[in-house]
Amino acid sequence: MVNVEEIRDYAAGLLEKGEVKSVLGFRRGSASAFAEPCTITNVGEAASLVWDPTCLNNLALYLVKDRKQQAVSKTPDTRPVGIVAKGCDSRAIGVLLQENYFKREDVVVIGVSCEGTGVVDPRKLSAKLKGRTASRVTFAVQGSTSVAGGRTPGATDGADGINVSVYGDETETVIPAREVLADRCLECRAAAPALNDVVFGNTVEARDFNEPFHAAKEAERLSEDERWATWERHFDRCLRCFACRAVCPMCYCPECVVDSTTFVVTLGTSAEEKANRIRWCERSANTSESAVYHLTRAIHLAGRCIDCGECERVCPVNIPLRLLNTKLEKEAFEMFEYQAGHDIEQASLLSSFRDEDPNSFIR
Amino acid sequence: MEKILRQEKLREWVDTLDDCEVYAPAFADSVWNFARVEAGTDIDLSHTNTIGSVKAFTFPQREVFFRFEKKDGVPVLTPTLPDPKPTVVFGVRPCDGRGMPRNDTVFNKEFEDPYYWARRNKLTLVGLACNQPHSPNCFCQSVGGSPHAEEGLDILMTDLGDRFHVKGVTAKGVEAMERGRDAFDAVSDADQTEVDKVHETSRSYPQRPIGDLDAISEALRESFDSPLWADMAQHCIGCGICTFLCPTCHCFDINDEVISPTTGEGERVRTWDNCQFPDFTMHTSGHNPRGDLGSRLRQRVNHKFLYFVENHKTQQCTGCGRCITECPVGIDIVAVLERVGQS
Amino acid sequence: MTDNIYLPKIGRIVGIDEETQGARAIKTFKVEFPNDDGFEHDCGQCAMLSMFGKGESMISIASSPLVKEYKQFSIMKMGRVTSAFHAAKIGDFIGIRGPYGNQFPLDDWQGRDLVFIGGGVGLAPIWPVIQTAVARREEFGKITVFYGARTSSDIMYEADFERLKESVEVQLSVDAPEEGWSGYTGFVPANLMDKAPPPDNAIAITCGPPIMIKFVIQNLQALGFADEQIYTTIENKMKCGVGKCGRCNVGKDYVCVKGPVYSWAELKRLPQEY
Repeated sequence: MVNVEEIRDYAAGLLEKGEVKSVLGFRRGSASAFAEPCTITNVGEAASLVWDPTCLNNLALYLVKDRKQQAVSKTPDTRPVGIVAKGCDSRAIGVLLQENYFKREDVVVIGVSCEGTGVVDPRKLSAKLKGRTASRVTFAVQGSTSVAGGRTPGATDGADGINVSVYGDETETVIPAREVLADRCLECRAAAPALNDVVFGNTVEARDFNEPFHAAKEAERLSEDERWATWERHFDRCLRCFACRAVCPMCYCPECVVDSTTFVVTLGTSAEEKANRIRWCERSANTSESAVYHLTRAIHLAGRCIDCGECERVCPVNIPLRLLNTKLEKEAFEMFEYQAGHDIEQASLLSSFRDEDPNSFIR
Repeated sequence: MEKILRQEKLREWVDTLDDCEVYAPAFADSVWNFARVEAGTDIDLSHTNTIGSVKAFTFPQREVFFRFEKKDGVPVLTPTLPDPKPTVVFGVRPCDGRGMPRNDTVFNKEFEDPYYWARRNKLTLVGLACNQPHSPNCFCQSVGGSPHAEEGLDILMTDLGDRFHVKGVTAKGVEAMERGRDAFDAVSDADQTEVDKVHETSRSYPQRPIGDLDAISEALRESFDSPLWADMAQHCIGCGICTFLCPTCHCFDINDEVISPTTGEGERVRTWDNCQFPDFTMHTSGHNPRGDLGSRLRQRVNHKFLYFVENHKTQQCTGCGRCITECPVGIDIVAVLERVGQS
Repeated sequence: MTDNIYLPKIGRIVGIDEETQGARAIKTFKVEFPNDDGFEHDCGQCAMLSMFGKGESMISIASSPLVKEYKQFSIMKMGRVTSAFHAAKIGDFIGIRGPYGNQFPLDDWQGRDLVFIGGGVGLAPIWPVIQTAVARREEFGKITVFYGARTSSDIMYEADFERLKESVEVQLSVDAPEEGWSGYTGFVPANLMDKAPPPDNAIAITCGPPIMIKFVIQNLQALGFADEQIYTTIENKMKCGVGKCGRCNVGKDYVCVKGPVYSWAELKRLPQEY
């Protein structure tokens, strides 16, 4: 089990020694039972850090935000940033390093192993509660002996399930973890951050949930017509709030091809440049435009998506966006044995070429 | 008009509205949302609150203003004013109901918006009182509403277990009840006592407090240049969830969508827009009066709790709590007001 | 049936003047209403101009309300819509809806001296006031027009200035003089200080680049102008023009409806959001 006190002490230590300017972590918020991101800058705040199955966010997003802020700041603070990272989050940092977004010494990765579980999928929880709100979500630990006795590697805390209290009905129920854990956690191959400066929690190799790419493989069983009908329905529901893009640490482009206006405008930007910007995608939230948006985004993430599932989590209408990305990652894995963010020394998938690459056209 | 409707008679009433488009909440894709009710199917009013608000019925996410084309070199414009069938929406929560007159104000003041009103005039809202808050983020009572507020609704239903108390609030609502008169029973004294009790109980649940609303407006006025805004928006990702789900956010964009570049044919289209997007206020020159997330959070909050109050003497927030519950990073408008109030 | 506030009237371009060249070129367009459905406007008001397929832009009406046959718009090439205007030819059709916004309270200024201070394309919003004041010359005291441009070839409405000199004092300046330039060399705020128009019973009306407006207002205050004696116009991104789309607000005011004309006394009470 991860002892949150150890995370707090470590974060406080980093701040105290001045090794980082801030630590990105999770704290209890006022908005829901789920933890919210926080940026702590002094030792005293470290006590507010939490760790539990509601720590959903991929905080690597804020490393990107910080980079952007420092880039335009007149007095940039380029000291390293500490970040609490799950396995998936650490892979996001890995991709950012592969793409030279920042340097390894710019970040102190406070790794946290999800051990045998992961984080809760609010959508699955909502389905279980039929829209009602959870007021408390924690790891269940049935019988203290299981902790005191020490787990054998490979044992899943998930077997103990997740405690859920429902708002307005304070009885606590234990839901088996596999029923409410996020799909990405069920399919996770690296629950402990490989990229780290420290790891809290045990590294668990065997996880008794789903095989990798399980959900994508399930979706592939449908016929092409069925798949199109499914996605047409989903694209039609899209609100185009762009939360999926906004939350994605890999969507760091200062301006995006699907936006119809030029965002990066300086005095030197010519009228022609602004006038002639191609509108690949209209603002209308209709099936065709939203399909262009989501498919463009998926392609731009091919070989870069580290499966943190944030796009899917934040979607207010629950479009299963992760499926689009994991389908592409599955191809990358099966064709090139490539896993985004697993090895920061590796060249990124789309900027490397090997003789044994399967496509003949490129030779 | 006040009547009793037994649960099993709901369908009978709905079936009498057969010349209308009927919508009711449905649970699909793990969220409640308004969905078209096909004739002869049951409606499920066990919903919490819908993810999307009722605003979309009068202010759809995409509205075509007109089509343009060229005939003999001269532009010809064909307005596309909507002409919807009468539409009845069931299961509207009172917070969403109260959003409607606020939107009416926006689309009425100074210039009347014909697209909005073409839809609005055909819309009947059948509310359902909240017997208890659905979420810890409900705060209707803190912004002058109540779990059984009638404002903006045409009919208010109250769930009494095996039956509903149904009150016609407007002439439109009474008319919809008249249509299904055979399905209704008279209200007995016992029914009346029970509905009063349910309403009273519903008001007794603790809700998130905001305190004195005038003091909040004043605090917001004083805090315009406060560094708090940047701090509170520190983790904001700048998406459109809070505003798109909000029952009163009405900001929009207008764009020309070209259908055929060769003939110059196309449509001028209104779409929802969002004050949290950077291009919302960015001038063509690149200058942006609200160039950072802090100023954009401030705009969202000020619009609801300061500017709208100054212009229309009421808050432009009805306490539905969607923006809080659905924010991916926990930005909480009640907590924001609390911090501004304390500063 | 109510008017459709989003449906533009059809306008036809009947005249194009190239005011300035270069990357930020300015052209002045005369627009008629071929369907005879034109509207009246007041000094300072704007209109939403369409290029169908490109979109709409809010542009101030640069002609005097006294001119009924056409409306005049001076447009700087900036983005999608304005570039389409710059590519337009005489005879082309546009969309036009309005008029929008408030007006300069010219009637309240009867008997007073008027000091106009314009820079660059910022001359356009105050041009109708100048034209109207000149047409009603006897109603006002001394009228002075300060105007500055980067070079002498960037001076807008050059031919009109020649006529203007007959009835009002004109003080032209350029930032970069060419040989033979007889006017003032330097920035507009400096020229203003140099000529130092007296504030007594005067109204100052200024429009130009934000940085120019800032220093003009500082200098006017130094010259003794009270906040109530200083008028300017502001601009923000606009889409609807009718106070609904929600983006042009400065505090509680939608500039498209409550603006664009503000006295400095009013403007300084609003947050700096433009």
